[in-house]
Amino acid sequence: MPEENDKKELDADDIVIDETENIEDTPKAEIEEILSDQKKLSICEDKLQRALADYQNLDRRNNIEVSQKILKRTNQLMLSFIGIYEDFLRAKDALVNDNNNTEGLDAVIKNMESLLYENNIKQIEAVGEIFDPKLHEAVSTVEDNSLDDGTITQEVAKGYISSQEVIKPSKVIVSKKNESE
Amino acid sequence: MTEKIIGIDLGTSNSAAAVIQGGKPTLIPAAEGTTVAGKAFPSIVAFSKDGDLLVGEPARRQAVTNPDNTIREAKRKMGTEFTYKIQDKEYKPQQISAFILQKIKRDAEAFTGDSISKAVITVPAYFNDNQRQATKDAGTIAGLEVVRIINEPTAASLAFGLDKNKQDMKILVFDFGGGTLDVTIMEMGGGVFEVMSTSGDTQLGGSDMDKAIIDYVADEFRKKEGIDLSNDSTAMTRIKEGGEKAKIELSTVMETEINLPFIAQDSSGAKNLEVKLTRAKLDDLVNPIVQRCKSSIEKAIEDAKISKTDITKIVLVGGPTRMPIVRKFVSETVEQEAESGVDPMEAVAFGAAVQAGIIAGDVTSDIVLLDVTPLTLGIETLGGVREPIIERNTTIPTSKDKTFTTAADSQTAVTINVVQGERPMVADNVSLGSFNLTEIPPAPRGVPQINVKFDIDANGIINVTAKDLGTGKDAKITIESATKMSEADVEKMKGDAEKFAEEDKKKKEEVDIKNEAESFIYTTEKLVNQDLKDKIPQDKGIKITDAIKELKESLTQGSEQIKQKLDALKAIVNEITTELYKNATPPPGAEQQSEQGQDNSTDQNTDEQKSDSENNEEQKTDSNSEQKPESS
Repeated sequence: MPEENDKKELDADDIVIDETENIEDTPKAEIEEILSDQKKLSICEDKLQRALADYQNLDRRNNIEVSQKILKRTNQLMLSFIGIYEDFLRAKDALVNDNNNTEGLDAVIKNMESLLYENNIKQIEAVGEIFDPKLHEAVSTVEDNSLDDGTITQEVAKGYISSQEVIKPSKVIVSKKNESE
Repeated sequence: MTEKIIGIDLGTSNSAAAVIQGGKPTLIPAAEGTTVAGKAFPSIVAFSKDGDLLVGEPARRQAVTNPDNTIREAKRKMGTEFTYKIQDKEYKPQQISAFILQKIKRDAEAFTGDSISKAVITVPAYFNDNQRQATKDAGTIAGLEVVRIINEPTAASLAFGLDKNKQDMKILVFDFGGGTLDVTIMEMGGGVFEVMSTSGDTQLGGSDMDKAIIDYVADEFRKKEGIDLSNDSTAMTRIKEGGEKAKIELSTVMETEINLPFIAQDSSGAKNLEVKLTRAKLDDLVNPIVQRCKSSIEKAIEDAKISKTDITKIVLVGGPTRMPIVRKFVSETVEQEAESGVDPMEAVAFGAAVQAGIIAGDVTSDIVLLDVTPLTLGIETLGGVREPIIERNTTIPTSKDKTFTTAADSQTAVTINVVQGERPMVADNVSLGSFNLTEIPPAPRGVPQINVKFDIDANGIINVTAKDLGTGKDAKITIESATKMSEADVEKMKGDAEKFAEEDKKKKEEVDIKNEAESFIYTTEKLVNQDLKDKIPQDKGIKITDAIKELKESLTQGSEQIKQKLDALKAIVNEITTELYKNATPPPGAEQQSEQGQDNSTDQNTDEQKSDSENNEEQKTDSNSEQKPESS
């Protein structure tokens, strides 16, 4: 619609001319309209900035949530895998007890351990360490005056750390000094 | 956006918290990750031998090694004068609960990224004023303004969206937790959830079911292999884990297998445990425990003076209610289907968050939960009989009075003993305080007229006035709460709690630097041995290896030493990687892109800061307009 477009251009030119003229000659209503438009524009700009900021915040939060969900799911999967890995360790012990060759099984276990290492999963040190409730869970205590109080004497179930999070605390038996002696 | 208010389920065995995000309640994860209590964490507080404070999962893990300094179920002692003596220091139950709330506050702040200073906390429906006040005090000590205390069954009903129903309802809330059962019947209508009756069993819960499963599995193995595993803690730990897994699986499938290879060894070799468990068998095992819940349901219905058919909704709360047998049992007992759609483990925390959301203006609701008197208030009359003056569930502020007379001829004084509770005899209720009205002119018994007036203001403060209508002489008492702590006490305890928070922060920093160092060692080793194996000159490689070695050695030392060695290693790695990048030829246009990227990130920061700071302004305005005065 060329006519309309022409008209718009003409209107725009008019405004430019008005601006070059003495401000006192501009009708008051027109000044108010311009000021009002400027105010509206400023509000729109502000809203746009806020919307952008909100979007970026949402995007950031979303990314964090997604990575947390992936990590959680991976840890769950790794815990299931660890269950099978531990069964292999038990199988090896049983074979050793029966004086069987475990070379092949050793290689399988080694591969499994590599997989855990690649996924940044480490076993929690337990026997001989001092009990730490952030890493270990005590299932019982045993009296032993030869050890420092709180020394782990037996590991009932292995524990694991993924990155910096304990995904499974090791379950342990802890020494306690006999106070009556 | 207004200031975030969190909802807290401060439970006897486990606690959880939730917050409204995107219009929906979201559970706040515990810093230690998922625990035995699921997304919640155990309500356990302990002090290590070195005096370190442990809360939640770490406290549970060390409980058997340190039973004297481990506190469980402090909620049962709330509102009493009981004190815990730990390592020559005394702690009130409020302080112990405050440690739990403080941990929740910390977790919530880490999760939301905002500072949290307000909360809605749930309490059992049967909690009296003292217990509710103690819960509020615990919040204050933890640095939280408790904007509302709501009943746990009310919270659960809110989580299930029952407030959206237009018609009046009678709701049965069946709360079957790890160690306790609470059955509540409530009436909803006219903007109020009114508790009609409560009953339960403090010694019945999901842990009884777990034990039944473990015993069955161990027994099956003994029958098959002739080996008793009950003294083998490793085997029993595996059976417990396997049993819990099977129990969860049987909520969705009809049959599962507990398969624990190499569980034992005898002269004939290794033994494997393979036990098939069907849902029917599981039902059979837990049925005696489930049936024990029946009397509590019947008693609650009887006490509410209604029949089963009057109940319009059933709400299930607590982990064991996920089991189909429990759901079926409740539905059959009450003769209608239970509500579904919300995880029963999270329902109370979710409901508290919904209430918090309503107060903060994040959530809309047709119902306005009003502050009500949870229990009947009255005075002691002749023969130790309780005479009610303000019935329970009366909306506050309120004022009611009754006129009494003397019990003996020429009696010149009367003692007004203010009691709270639902039992007819004073001895079975809680006394909130007493006072004397003296100088009554001698007269035959039954002649003097003594008007006793109860006033409860919006803050829950009760004023009781006794006035001799003959002479106009009066006496009065103001009851805030029998176990309400003075402001000075609260401030002192706040200081103690903050001291622990400071210590925790320091410890966290120590752990963080150690973790950062370990993580950096791992990344650097991977970089040197794999990713950049052939690109690092030998001399630099040796330099890195030495620095890693030094950092590893420093891990057993203080955080300062670790930081020093970590910075040293970082500097070497930075130096090498910078050199590698310098030598690499950049692809065309890469420089320009990088500059652009920087510009964008600056913009993002500016916008984000602006958005956040403006949010804060809004928070202040809203918090002023929404702030509810606290009972004091």
